[in-house]
Amino acid sequence: MKGYEGIALVCPVSLGYVKQSAHGAAWFIGSTLRELINAAGIKKSEIDGFAVSSFSLGVDSAISLTQHLGLTPRWIEQANMGGVSGIIAMRRAARAVQCGEANIVACVGGDGAAHRSFEATAANFSSWSIDASFPYGAGGPNAAFSLITQHYMEKYGATREDFARICLDQRYNANHYAPALLGHKTLTLDNYLNARPIAGPVHLFDCVMPCAGGEGFLIMTEDRARQLELPYARLLAADELHNAHSDDPVQDRSGWTHYIDDLYQRAGVGPNDMSCLQTYDDYPVISMMQMEDLGFCAKGEGAQFVQNTDMRFDHSGSAAHKLPHNTCGGQLSCGQAGSAAGYLGVTETLRQLIGTAKDNQIPKAQYGLVSGYGMVNYDRGLCTAAAVLAGAAI
Amino acid sequence: MNLGEKMRRRLKLNRPSLRARARPPKQRSPVGRQFSVVNLPVSLALQHCRSCAHVQYPPTELCSICLDDALTYRETSGRGVLLARSALHHSLWEFFKRRLRSAPWLIGSVKLDVGPVVIVHIGCDTIKAGDPVQVFSHTDVSQEVVLVAAPSALDLTGSAARLNIISSLGLDQPALRKGGI
Repeated sequence: MKGYEGIALVCPVSLGYVKQSAHGAAWFIGSTLRELINAAGIKKSEIDGFAVSSFSLGVDSAISLTQHLGLTPRWIEQANMGGVSGIIAMRRAARAVQCGEANIVACVGGDGAAHRSFEATAANFSSWSIDASFPYGAGGPNAAFSLITQHYMEKYGATREDFARICLDQRYNANHYAPALLGHKTLTLDNYLNARPIAGPVHLFDCVMPCAGGEGFLIMTEDRARQLELPYARLLAADELHNAHSDDPVQDRSGWTHYIDDLYQRAGVGPNDMSCLQTYDDYPVISMMQMEDLGFCAKGEGAQFVQNTDMRFDHSGSAAHKLPHNTCGGQLSCGQAGSAAGYLGVTETLRQLIGTAKDNQIPKAQYGLVSGYGMVNYDRGLCTAAAVLAGAAI
Repeated sequence: MNLGEKMRRRLKLNRPSLRARARPPKQRSPVGRQFSVVNLPVSLALQHCRSCAHVQYPPTELCSICLDDALTYRETSGRGVLLARSALHHSLWEFFKRRLRSAPWLIGSVKLDVGPVVIVHIGCDTIKAGDPVQVFSHTDVSQEVVLVAAPSALDLTGSAARLNIISSLGLDQPALRKGGI
């Protein structure tokens, strides 16, 4: 696979996280775009590529948004793949810029959160979920992931205390990231273990809070970024694979296992070189699965790995092994802003690598691994993607 | 309250929680509706591919292995193994919210001997992950077909035995609210 030489990722923007909002998705996407333009110091007309992801555009689409927002892109992409949409948009956009199909691509994920909209999304998610999973208790994603979590716990002996390690360290990170919706609250092991049961082993703090918000970044050439004097990060390697291991009766691994070795080889770095890891944390078991499949530990050893690993951004935890994980708190503490949640890992890694994270900045961050997962069509998440990013100075 | 007044109040207060009778989700895709119709007279019917013999679930229009559209519903054994089970304490749907007030709602996933993995209501709380089970279909009070797992030793040959399980789950009755609209 050809590399992504000469591509710069700039101007990570996270905007407007709020639990419920009267604004629609177009407001969050457009506002994020405005912040991107301001941050880059360019004119709106200089954006000639537009990649957008959203669940709540309703009858609108990426093309309707061009008229809403007054854009005239010569390259357009709509990546509605939930938890991988940020990485997918980044990959597509990087190729477009590399091939000269666009000069500056704005990648934006944004969703509104109208009253009762989560219920409507869950009830109408896919034809297979309408026919064969929603009628069974109507638990939405909690129900599907409770079966995956229960199975994982029985097969590998993971406990709720192990999942708590992920949630607690993420909350500590969120306590240092102002936009996180739950960042003003601390979370203790007792709070976690005594939380309200939701579905089987899944309790309140294993669930993300649906919310509204926007996430975005710009992709351009390194030359252009230097010319605009914008700090940037580079894309060393990226991969995706969907509906992998489809014969596994219950999901406990996914597409990463097929490409992760190749991904590290192309990036020229390995898991031990990562300054931070951002996984898609819709449920802690899924983060654990990613740590295994991304080569941080062997399959089934995720529980032991998180017990022995300090996942705080500032290495302040007691465990000896350090791996800052979901350094802004992830969705578990920031809230899940629909498709924007699939961009959160990318924007947070960019902030860390270009040094614009504030209170949650990792000192001397060099390499970051972002992983995406998503779209429970029926009984499992189908999509996987992963990308290795590096700071520009390396 | 006559019907007209009732409908006007329902429109004005369009909230599932205010309904006198809450029912399970009625929505199905066109193939899902076909699945319901075909399963009415039998214990369990699944799509079989005439081209490659693959057994398909959830129902679709094309075989997911060979992409042929030669899918035929055939009466199928519901024997399988319970992969995982989970007790729901929270639901997005008013019917289940009301049922959850008395006890958590049990669901599970079953790997059928004929191939597919099916999500089911658990018809008897003694069955655990790893147990052999039998899956049957039945209409709920929304007149749509749902799948239910029962212990494999249970004799389910008569429709009365199957109705018994549906009744014990409360799936054959709407969940009521006193003074609802």
